[in-house]
Amino acid sequence: MHELGVVMEVARVVEEFARENDVEEVDTIVLQVGELSSMIPKYIYDVYPAAVDGTMLEKTKLDIEIIPGNGQCVGCKTVFNILENHTACPNCQSTQFELLSGREFYIKEIVCY
Amino acid sequence: MKEYRVLEIKQSVFEDNNKQADLLRQKLKEEKIFLLNLMSSPGAGKTTTLTRTIELLKDKLRIGVMEADIDSDVDAAAIAKTGAKVIQLHTGGMCHLDADMTKQGLEGLGTEGVDLAILENVGNLVCPAEFDTGSVKNAMILSVPEGDDKPLKYPLMFSICDVLLINKIDVMPYFDFDLQVCIERARKLNPDIRVIPVCAKTGEGIADFADWLCDETKKWQA
Repeated sequence: MHELGVVMEVARVVEEFARENDVEEVDTIVLQVGELSSMIPKYIYDVYPAAVDGTMLEKTKLDIEIIPGNGQCVGCKTVFNILENHTACPNCQSTQFELLSGREFYIKEIVCY
Repeated sequence: MKEYRVLEIKQSVFEDNNKQADLLRQKLKEEKIFLLNLMSSPGAGKTTTLTRTIELLKDKLRIGVMEADIDSDVDAAAIAKTGAKVIQLHTGGMCHLDADMTKQGLEGLGTEGVDLAILENVGNLVCPAEFDTGSVKNAMILSVPEGDDKPLKYPLMFSICDVLLINKIDVMPYFDFDLQVCIERARKLNPDIRVIPVCAKTGEGIADFADWLCDETKKWQA
């Protein structure tokens, strides 16, 4: 049930933004979700209809862009995907890395009329 | 065909919560209230640890407790027996508390004259770690039967906590739990984490946690 509360917050933020910018109808909401965030895209899609039920976004579509979980090795500075490489640098096998991206959960933009 | 446009929002959804959490911390500082966010998986011993801790601290600090659960008030009833002020928060299915819910909880509890407020978060090692509640410090409990591999499985939780209580150390001989290995795994994620082995049932080690809590509260109020 983690996603529902957060997606309701998304709906709240977008509604407020739409009101402030005199948007009459929102066609699509575009989210950016990091691979390492606790938000699972499948579940976001699943709970979305419930989150927008009864709001001005009832007919609004949802689009999700995935941001890769990348890290940079502290030792050899190689940039690598953390999930694909199981948290170890593919070049020197060190597990000491600095997180570059992947924990985001952004409302990127809205497509509207 | 209707003309459409794309409006950029680029707002982190967690940003709003982070802002609210900072505001809450500021308010707590002004009111000289120390807020501890206590987390663990279900059954690790949060409530028993708290009742033991309150027994040791109740003559030194005025304590208020917020019990967050999806349902029931069994934990609040247990805390009420210690004489501490307590409120039960129902999250209605939500698996964590955010800063706004914590603020509402504090208002419901009534913090006037309270030195130390403790939030017993929903039993869960995943989601509560993601949301800043506005607490001054975070503590977590890992109990021996859960296993020493938990820092590997739930790294974020171990990264954001100031204190790690390892509970139920009395049953260590019956489990394959290596205390040193567990501490090493936690420190790898969080070099500054303070580890306190305890047994809430017998009270062993609880005094160390109570002392830390008392010191931190005094520091915050100074």
